[in-house]
Amino acid sequence: MLILVGSNHRSAPLDVRERMSFPLGRLPGVLARVHKLDGIAEALVLSTCNRVEILGWSTGEVEAATDSIKRFLAEAHRLSLPEIDEYTYQLAGADAARHLFGVACGLDSMILGEPQILGQLKQAYRTASEQGTVGPTLDRLLQHCLSTAKRVRTATGISRHAVSVAFAAVELGRQIFGRLDGRDALVLGAGKMGDLVARHLVSHGVRSLWFASRTYTNAVVHAERVGGGAVPWEEGLARVGDVDVVVSCTGAAQQVLSKADVARATRGRKRGPLLLIDIAVPRDIDPRVNEIDDVYLYDIDGLQNLVDSNLEERRGAAEQAKRLIAREVAAFERWRRGQQVTPLIVALREGCLAVGQQEIERFRPRLGDLGEKQRQAVDELIRAVIQKILHRPLRHLHGAVDRGDVAECGELYRSIFGVADPPAVEGPTGAPSADPPSPGPSRLIRGGRDAS
Amino acid sequence: MTANPFLPVSLVGYVLAIVAVTLRTVYRADAARRVASTCFVATWLVHLGGIVHEALRVGRVPPTTGAEYLLLLGWVVLSLHLLLWFRANVELSGLLLAPLAGVLCLAAMQWLGASAPRTERAVDGWFLVHTSISTIGMATLCVAFAMSVLYLVQDHALKTKRTLALLARLPSLERSDQLGHRALLVGFVLLTLGIAAGVVVIAEARARPVVVGAKLILPLLAWVVFAAILVARASFGFRGRKAAVLTITGFVLGLATVVGMTL
Repeated sequence: MLILVGSNHRSAPLDVRERMSFPLGRLPGVLARVHKLDGIAEALVLSTCNRVEILGWSTGEVEAATDSIKRFLAEAHRLSLPEIDEYTYQLAGADAARHLFGVACGLDSMILGEPQILGQLKQAYRTASEQGTVGPTLDRLLQHCLSTAKRVRTATGISRHAVSVAFAAVELGRQIFGRLDGRDALVLGAGKMGDLVARHLVSHGVRSLWFASRTYTNAVVHAERVGGGAVPWEEGLARVGDVDVVVSCTGAAQQVLSKADVARATRGRKRGPLLLIDIAVPRDIDPRVNEIDDVYLYDIDGLQNLVDSNLEERRGAAEQAKRLIAREVAAFERWRRGQQVTPLIVALREGCLAVGQQEIERFRPRLGDLGEKQRQAVDELIRAVIQKILHRPLRHLHGAVDRGDVAECGELYRSIFGVADPPAVEGPTGAPSADPPSPGPSRLIRGGRDAS
Repeated sequence: MTANPFLPVSLVGYVLAIVAVTLRTVYRADAARRVASTCFVATWLVHLGGIVHEALRVGRVPPTTGAEYLLLLGWVVLSLHLLLWFRANVELSGLLLAPLAGVLCLAAMQWLGASAPRTERAVDGWFLVHTSISTIGMATLCVAFAMSVLYLVQDHALKTKRTLALLARLPSLERSDQLGHRALLVGFVLLTLGIAAGVVVIAEARARPVVVGAKLILPLLAWVVFAAILVARASFGFRGRKAAVLTITGFVLGLATVVGMTL
């Protein structure tokens, strides 16, 4: 059965999360150790700044496998078992799959819908594949999970809108100008927030970026840090009409741009709209500037309102995403349960085909001299007859997965067809009776908080 | 009412397409966009079928009557909307241009057969030049109108700090402005040529110099408004909200000319 032991920003405080995270370079070693734990046939470790999760496919007792992962975490991070119990969540079966799908879609992230987690999960999958700790079940689960996450993002737009003030400023720029490449921007003041917005502008292709500060050396420092040019304060103010975006973040007690200043700067302007972002408190720009045609002023409250409403949009999208995930988890579970009867089906088919082959060989002398084509035709005839005969019984066996009588049905088939028990193989195909026929809710919360 | 069997079908197509665009706008559903695209293309074909049917019925190349003009204008407006929809990806034109084209089609349905055809003498080369150019010019001005409306909506949303989710459904301000400006430029040139051809038609019909009457005042007023916008933009960067409002005003004057001509 699928098991997951993890810790995230909801179940553990920052200092515990710091202790529990695995550095990227140590992951191969960690994976190798987890893979060797009792009852763990396949393993994946996801370690990011906000979560550590160990996902495993267990061929034995779920509780024993979960305990071995918890003991491993306790040893690796020098935490006591009660502490591990307190700060982790433990999930099994469909709940573990649902949780992983949610993580991939950003539903379990600190910032709802954030897209970085998908890349981190892909990296974890790649590392586990390289280390050979991913088998058929986790491989199927992760591929299904990654493709679902992509679909969720496209279909629901959960990551579409900005949820940070700095990114909201850039998004506003895109709403006004379409694209930011080829645009010019000016940053008045030398605040950290101004730097952050400036960095976003640069990453979105702004052509030229100027910093102006009352202390010229500050402007130079920021320009060098972010990438841009520095101009003296007065020259910066004079450039307001010559750029497309102005970000103001001075610590001035008085307004630095009045309505008259901006009106004068934009008179006869041919370069189109002007976006002013005032993230200073107290405000740097007279709010009445927004009344000027083709000038759009957003202060910190205006940006925060946009962020809040975007978060609301994301919450709506998250509900839609949960519905999609529920469908995909059900599909994965169907596949997984189907794997319980696969070894028997394979054994049954191979056994019948072997009988057919024996009979062909027994009758070969009586068939006389057959050409290559005729031999092939006889082989195909026998194979087709066997397929036809087996069709209904095999369909019935497949149905046992949904009916929940895999064990009884399997036993009956073995006795009727005289098929021996398939050899035990790690993973779902070799462990038909590892799971109860109808697992139902399988969340195991022993300490920690529910992460779903 | 006309017996043209294509037009009621095209009206149904317009309604379905507009419903699909509305669903697409509200729920951002890809399926709704696919349905809307199919409806638009099908409606375009059926509407074209209606024009051909009408031409075959009366035995003349349209438009020779006000109703035919409306029918053709609606189809050209829909054609330009399809350009915006597929090439420029301006989906909201489906909530402006498509209903406009639908209303023009409906009006044409009402008046087809009721409006008197011109005499054969009047339907000469100059008349066809005048009506053809005017139709395309007016349709292009419809695009300028639609983009101006979108500009005003976007401008209002930005000024009043509406949510980004709403803004995301609109084209950027610059895009609305550029598309509207281009449409206005082309529409203005065609309107100028259309008015010139119209003057020749009136002069030929009356066999005497044209006196500026009611029929010429409205298009001339629209022409003056559009010329003022274009000159002001080229000279001192006149654009934005006021330019959008003036474009809409000019378009309304142009539309009044069309309605006056049809009635």
